[in-house]
Amino acid sequence: MLVCAAVLVGCATRPPVLAVRDAAHQRVELAATPFFPQERYHCGPAALATVLAASGVNVTADQLVDRVYLPDRRGSLQPELIGASRSYDRLAYRLEPDIRAITAELAAGRPVLVLQNLGLKRLPIWHYAVVVGFDEGTDHLVLRSGTTERLLMSGHRFIDAWDRAGRWGIVTVMPGDFPAEPNQDRYLEAAAGLESAGRYDAAMKAYDAAVARWPGAGTALLGIGNVHYRRHALEEAEQAYRRLLELDPGHAVARNNLAQVLLERGDAEAALKEITAARAALSDKRFFELLRDTEAEIRRSLAAPK
Amino acid sequence: MKNSFFQRMAALVMTIAILAAGTPVVGYAGIIDTATVVESQQREADLATLSAGLNRADVQERMVAMGVDPAAVEARLASMTTGELRQMAEQMEQMPAGGDALAVIGIVFVVLLILELVGVIDIFKRT
Repeated sequence: MLVCAAVLVGCATRPPVLAVRDAAHQRVELAATPFFPQERYHCGPAALATVLAASGVNVTADQLVDRVYLPDRRGSLQPELIGASRSYDRLAYRLEPDIRAITAELAAGRPVLVLQNLGLKRLPIWHYAVVVGFDEGTDHLVLRSGTTERLLMSGHRFIDAWDRAGRWGIVTVMPGDFPAEPNQDRYLEAAAGLESAGRYDAAMKAYDAAVARWPGAGTALLGIGNVHYRRHALEEAEQAYRRLLELDPGHAVARNNLAQVLLERGDAEAALKEITAARAALSDKRFFELLRDTEAEIRRSLAAPK
Repeated sequence: MKNSFFQRMAALVMTIAILAAGTPVVGYAGIIDTATVVESQQREADLATLSAGLNRADVQERMVAMGVDPAAVEARLASMTTGELRQMAEQMEQMPAGGDALAVIGIVFVVLLILELVGVIDIFKRT
């Protein structure tokens, strides 16, 4: 009884979650967003298929089960949802932990995949759903969730369940495109993920777009160099690393990678100069061993009989 | 006979010595990937070495043990960054596994139903 009363009082005094900002976007619903009613435990594949299909990928929830579903956990893990997006050449961009990041994406025409804890902090019930609409007037959101094509959730209920899930949400974006409110670090994190997953064309598009938008973005230039390297375009890789080093001569990782490229292009002496400079410029101790190993490899090459 | 035996022993010892000396403790070749740099920018306080791929085999084994089709595991691992593989290695049994919203039974169901009715949680479909 007391719990009831306390909770009801709490609800009555909370302000609406969706603040009315812009009359033009008071109500949005992406009704064309596909719907994949989930089978038992398969909200991961279903939610991911929804956002991927909305971003132009020809995929169904069934096709994603083998990619993201973890049987013993009876569900799907966040890193695997992101990994699977990459295999379809999509940037999985992690949103700021703010409801306005979600409404901005919806206003821009993109549905948002969210993690929810529909239980309690200590007794979590994890669930993925896709936000496809919001209504500032009624303070509600519209979700594709489980077997419900249009689940209406009050702003409070949504925020509570999203809060308990660390406010995790992603959108899947075509490489070269940007989310509604792009943050440079988060964008480059997503692009770097494409590089790690071997999706080099997609990664390059993302890095090129990043450099165009944020000309001083050293990490994007590093990425361009790295993708060239992975594609065995060593001359282009060298140019990219040198371009970055002109902007940031103290970039030890770029200099390390340049040394590696010079070594592979047959100029071990130039490589040694670069790695020595890189090690001298290194401020992040965590890269110490990696740079040391590069130097060792260069020295081995110099010592080898011709 | 004696000479031959000693020669063979010497050759064996030499071979082992050469292999031991030539094998790097950290097998690394190639460039430092961008994801590693991004991760290093995010975790300022963490001074753990940013080693590559040591967790991959571990995660692979455990995925198969947890019911993933072995033919599917490779593609799943290949899509993740070194940092994500480390996160998986450390937490794959604990991190949130989004699944069925109605994964409850018995007494727990009754408790949750009560909590749902007073609005504390929201696991059942309603506005």
